[in-house]
Amino acid sequence: MEKSIENIWKEGFLKSDALIAPKINDLYSQKSIHIIDKFKKMFRINLIAIVFFSFLFLLISYFIGIPIMGIIFFVTLLVLVFINKGLLKDLETIDKGENSYQYLKEFNRWIKNQVAVNKRISTFLYPIIFMSFILGFWFKDAKGIPLGERLVTKILISFPDTYLIFGIPLIGIVIVFLILGILAFFGGRIYQWDLNIVYGRVFKKLEELMTDIENLNE
Amino acid sequence: MYYEIHRRPTFNDNRILFENFIFTLQTKKIILSSDFYKTSILPFAGIIIKLCRAYTNSQEDFEDYYQEVCLQIWRSKDNFREESQWSTWVYRVTLNVCLTLLKKKKNNVQHFVSDSLTAEETEDNHAFSDESLNLLYDAIRQLSEIDRAIIMLYLEEKPYQEIADIIGTNPNNIGVRVQRIKVRLKKLLDGEIN
Repeated sequence: MEKSIENIWKEGFLKSDALIAPKINDLYSQKSIHIIDKFKKMFRINLIAIVFFSFLFLLISYFIGIPIMGIIFFVTLLVLVFINKGLLKDLETIDKGENSYQYLKEFNRWIKNQVAVNKRISTFLYPIIFMSFILGFWFKDAKGIPLGERLVTKILISFPDTYLIFGIPLIGIVIVFLILGILAFFGGRIYQWDLNIVYGRVFKKLEELMTDIENLNE
Repeated sequence: MYYEIHRRPTFNDNRILFENFIFTLQTKKIILSSDFYKTSILPFAGIIIKLCRAYTNSQEDFEDYYQEVCLQIWRSKDNFREESQWSTWVYRVTLNVCLTLLKKKKNNVQHFVSDSLTAEETEDNHAFSDESLNLLYDAIRQLSEIDRAIIMLYLEEKPYQEIADIIGTNPNNIGVRVQRIKVRLKKLLDGEIN
């Protein structure tokens, strides 16, 4: 006799394997590992993108006559990639077999380290970028004479009393150093400020989670 | 352009990915508050599994739905007013989560035109060792979202009044609808309709 849907339902679920809940621990661990892996992949892609961009900029800067700027960019970005590659290695060391709390703790530690390192880099990075602009355009060829020298000549015509050091107006040197100082002083803060706008909420959440888990563990 | 690349060399546009990661970690709190999971969710896992299976078509989706339901139960447990049984409340949360996730999934898949899963889209047709049950689930997945909920509540032997309460409809219509669904399921099982 043909079974009714009610019977199919009842008998089907009588078998022991029908209602096994997924193992929740494995489920989350696997997912986190998967997401961390994705994260690493994106991290690597970002680093490759930086290398590609810096190389491209090097070529462009050569063709538009500001190779010094391109070279400084290229070297700076390569250093940045090198340092962040080291950070990536550190991320690889997070043990996937750890429990959730340890895993979270390790990831949090990695993020903090990553932010601290990039904050320190920013102290130098912004001034270097600024200097690369200045040097790039200073030595840009302008009808056989570097653009900087042409600019100084024009200034001297208008202000013959301008005090020069190594052929550069003192006022210009002072302004450049002032900007460099400001950028160095605020570089880390700019990075932190920028980071907080984008990731502030998430970082806060991560901290809350840590506290929550610690409370639960007590 | 340069600024965009150098300022966040490690994260760049990974914000969404990162937030998802945090969200996943957040769900782990369930594991840590495992007493609640063991005492209040696990005894009703059967209900959750049965419903989640009806609204998903792969093991991966099923596990996603299951964990989302657990998370939502855990999150909204303080909203339980004891006006109904805990099991009914779990059923309601499960259903709402399944319907929400299904809608989200549909929004992500632009070409999805029907609100039921066709046989081709149903990958997970061997979730149970009982072949008749697998076939019944295949048929149930081809019903509309609400019909799926109604027939499953009926098969769980919930009274019409409770089904109506959960669905939010008139209990008088439930009986008629159940009969119609049963006829359709029978036809689907007999291969009379696709």
